[in-house]
Amino acid sequence: MAEKVSNKKVLFNPLSKDNPVIVQILGICSALAVTAKLEPAIVMGLSVIAVLALANVILSLIRNTIPTNIRIIVQLVVVAGLVVIVNQLLLAYAYNVSKQLSVFIGLIITNCILMGRLEAFAMSNKPWPSFLDGIGNGLGYTIILIIVAFFRELLGCGTLLGIQVIPECFYQHGYQNNGLMILPPMALIVVACIIWVQHSFNKDLQE
Amino acid sequence: MENLNLFIRSIFIDNMIFAYFLGMCSFLAVSKNVKTALGLGIAVTFMLVITLPINYLLETYILKAGALAWLGEEYANIDISFLSLIMFIAVIASMTQLVEMAVEKYSPSLYASLGIFLPLIAVNCAILGGSLFMQQRDFGSVWTAICAGGGWVLGWLLAIVAIAAIRERVTSYSNVPKPLRGIGITFIITALMGIAFMSFLGIKF
Amino acid sequence: MNKQSNTYTIVYITILVIVVGTALAWVATALKPEQSRNANADKMKQILSSVHAPLGDNKQITDLFEKNITGIVINQNGDIQQNEDAFDINVANQIKLNADERKLPVYIYNDDNVGKKYIIPLYGQGLWGSIWGYLALNSDGSTIYGAYFSHQGETPGLGAEIEKSEFQKRFDGKQLFKDSQFRPITVVKAGQHPAGDEDYVDGISGGTITSKGVASMLKNGLLPYKQFLQNLSNN
Repeated sequence: MAEKVSNKKVLFNPLSKDNPVIVQILGICSALAVTAKLEPAIVMGLSVIAVLALANVILSLIRNTIPTNIRIIVQLVVVAGLVVIVNQLLLAYAYNVSKQLSVFIGLIITNCILMGRLEAFAMSNKPWPSFLDGIGNGLGYTIILIIVAFFRELLGCGTLLGIQVIPECFYQHGYQNNGLMILPPMALIVVACIIWVQHSFNKDLQE
Repeated sequence: MENLNLFIRSIFIDNMIFAYFLGMCSFLAVSKNVKTALGLGIAVTFMLVITLPINYLLETYILKAGALAWLGEEYANIDISFLSLIMFIAVIASMTQLVEMAVEKYSPSLYASLGIFLPLIAVNCAILGGSLFMQQRDFGSVWTAICAGGGWVLGWLLAIVAIAAIRERVTSYSNVPKPLRGIGITFIITALMGIAFMSFLGIKF
Repeated sequence: MNKQSNTYTIVYITILVIVVGTALAWVATALKPEQSRNANADKMKQILSSVHAPLGDNKQITDLFEKNITGIVINQNGDIQQNEDAFDINVANQIKLNADERKLPVYIYNDDNVGKKYIIPLYGQGLWGSIWGYLALNSDGSTIYGAYFSHQGETPGLGAEIEKSEFQKRFDGKQLFKDSQFRPITVVKAGQHPAGDEDYVDGISGGTITSKGVASMLKNGLLPYKQFLQNLSNN
């Protein structure tokens, strides 16, 4: 019974209290640049979940055989292999999104969430909890991406997933899309707002 | 002239942090004071300037579609570009290890100041990002690649040192709302700096 | 077994690299046909967009392209080059060569309703990365029938507007020849006029550098075709 509770924690803690992006401050690098539109953000999130979960399982399976002095390189090779596979799959089955994501799929390799979770969790845990940890952290990351992309696309373009949601009559009464929202710096401001809200509710996270 | 333009552009306009958010993780971790920020910045500069030309040569003469043509006609149709990601990261990781060993052996004092940052660099997005942008933009020569790389990394250095300096002041003198303290306010500072850097758009010689 | 020994490390990393390498090679080979189908269909879609052709899924696009479009390759003097496939030519690579060495692809669109159109591929640099496009001309070699532009990563809402039809429509009906002189169309800041007498369209407000990129792409891209277009307009 005890193990079940911990598995659940492993899966759900990263969604808010232990969120990789806004609490552990990992993986911001490759993330924010893809949040100008909702669709690439979702695809990016799914790719990270897949790579993170699989890498966690694989490394957890071989964790006892890895020579310690080349640990980092082994991790990098496994992650890079998975990322290349994801990239090839996207090119074959989601060509347009993969064009939008361009180099940022490749940058999943250096996403600190991956190395962070591999080092902190997969290297010392069994495959199943590692898998859950991967899914949980991937989801926590995806949620942030989706929230940021939601606001940026809604306010910046008036669309969601490319579909117009702000009605035409708003524009006739002088409403304008906020062009600033699609520029890169606004991604940081939106994340800062999310952090503000989340830290206000979780007093123990405040510095 | 073109290379100089590219160099300036890479520092101010294509800034790794303000335009692409690359290398943010290690940046947020060390930018609490100017001295460590400078240390990491120099280590990253060093690595990027070494790895970018190597990756450029690898890309041009081995990995790109048709790049193996110099081996003979029958190799001209080989396309192993799917290996490029893994090759780039392998070069970066192994160069990091090599440099770490070399620095440790020949310059213990440099090692003492840079040493702790070197392992961080293998997973610094700015370095892999540099190689990937190089591949995407299809630079004409290795010099162009070096100029762009030098610019990117100087821009990165500039950004982390500047923000570290602001952060030092903010934490000691300002009354920041409690929930925003630490990471939240750093994000906002970075964003404002990013907006300021946008005014460089279009500068040219 | 001693896991810290050099032999173990070397054997371990060799096996790992072989396993990963094989897996990647297998995935890449298995997906290659699908990927090149996608890439080709994407290119065909862009070419067809410039002549306002109806677009559908990949299959319809490929069918329409193969039915209505033939490609030829010419040189700077307007002579047709044999044994070259227009579709395989990478404009981005050709632009780096000297003007007299370039292979210049032209796509000819044949449709009973709208007649014969000549489509010229273009390639240039925007603010953040490359931009490219296709310009469709009537059979007089001067009147622009349609234009299509796309980009790698221009600023959304500003420079990226070049891929919107509002911008592309501005080109329709403009001329490349003025008083039988070759004057490639240009892009200017809204409200301004070019120095010469060439036709122009308004650029994108806020996307000045991208608009300038489009202008120089048009100029550099169309110039090698001068003789070919001249021949067309003389016929």
